[in-house]
Amino acid sequence: MRDEDLLIGTLLEDACLTLEELCSACAVSQDWVERRVREGLLPIAGETPEAWRFSSRDLRRARVIWRYERDFEAEPELAALVADLMEEIEALRARLQRAGLA
Amino acid sequence: MEFKDYYATLGVARDAGAGEIKKAFRRLARKYHPDVSKEANAEARMKEINEANAVLSDTEKRAAYDALGSGHRPGEEFRPPPDWDAGFEFSRPGSGDGAGADFSDFFAELFGRMGGARHARGPRHRGEDHYARILLDIEDAWQGASRQISLRVPKLDDQGRVVLDTRTLQVQIPKGVREGQLIRLANQGAPGVQGEPSGDLLLEVHLKPHPRFRVEGRDLHIELPLAPWEAALGAVVPIALPDGSELKVRIPPGAQSGRRLRVPGKGVPGATPGGLELTVRVVLPGADTPRARELYETMARELGFDPRAPAGG
Repeated sequence: MRDEDLLIGTLLEDACLTLEELCSACAVSQDWVERRVREGLLPIAGETPEAWRFSSRDLRRARVIWRYERDFEAEPELAALVADLMEEIEALRARLQRAGLA
Repeated sequence: MEFKDYYATLGVARDAGAGEIKKAFRRLARKYHPDVSKEANAEARMKEINEANAVLSDTEKRAAYDALGSGHRPGEEFRPPPDWDAGFEFSRPGSGDGAGADFSDFFAELFGRMGGARHARGPRHRGEDHYARILLDIEDAWQGASRQISLRVPKLDDQGRVVLDTRTLQVQIPKGVREGQLIRLANQGAPGVQGEPSGDLLLEVHLKPHPRFRVEGRDLHIELPLAPWEAALGAVVPIALPDGSELKVRIPPGAQSGRRLRVPGKGVPGATPGGLELTVRVVLPGADTPRARELYETMARELGFDPRAPAGG
């Protein structure tokens, strides 16, 4: 494929990534994801691992958790707590911006 | 190729113990972690720190690095980041722990052989997905746009070593993308191993702040400045949308500052288009000419208006 060829992007709708796709996008193993789902650290839509679907927000969360586990050798629960707090801050910042304060 | 002084990057002595290196890395990782850091160059610094740590925390790599000797001087020029604002991240081939790493040519040159050898022995598997964040103007996200993005990606050269390659892609951004959504470019990720297909490239969309437009979910928010008489008497005002078109909106009489008006269907385009949310802001003309003063004085005299009177009183 030549560099100048135009690539057509597909827009992924919410809750669209399979377990395999999430793992691939985060470079983590399925086992890693399954453990964190079982422990309630990652939300899922769907009953069995085959039916699980993740949103781009979940992907972001998985990457944050993975990064804190790696960089600080954090326990998964602690890394998930950091992810919770960051999501909260993100939501508050969005509110500040809406209120014209940021 | 620039020489990288990994000890200087982590701020440790060349004879620092493993514990000391770990401690220095964590201290810097906390300071420059892109999620929390307020430092301007946090992302670039974090990459350097990750790279230095990847070498110095690994006995084998550290020994190889030390063997280069200590007489080198670090390169003076800092490598410019790719020309799209958010960095590109990739995982090292053949290892499960490398996501988020974006290592220098220097690193690739030194340790490429190790990665390459490990890679070649690996089992058949589909190429890994690459993941990158892109910053889009609201106008481009709104109506779709063809955009050029540059990525730095690792690839194997003829000798099986990992080299960094700059790749430029011309991407059609679909119409109506929203903050946080993913765009998938099929087969644009890492090449597959032993004939397996390539991975995909996932682009996470972020919208640049805009002075007039704010997109929230599917809704477009615009502040609507009105003259006092437009607000009081009602008016039909033109509103410029991100695609450059103009929408005429009827403002009902008696609109106060802060009042919100919603125009359904005029938000972010899509199968279920969002709405346009207008927030009224009444702007007063200055009383800086005799005529303007006179008009204000007439209102003051004749309207008997007390803005501080209790509501409904």
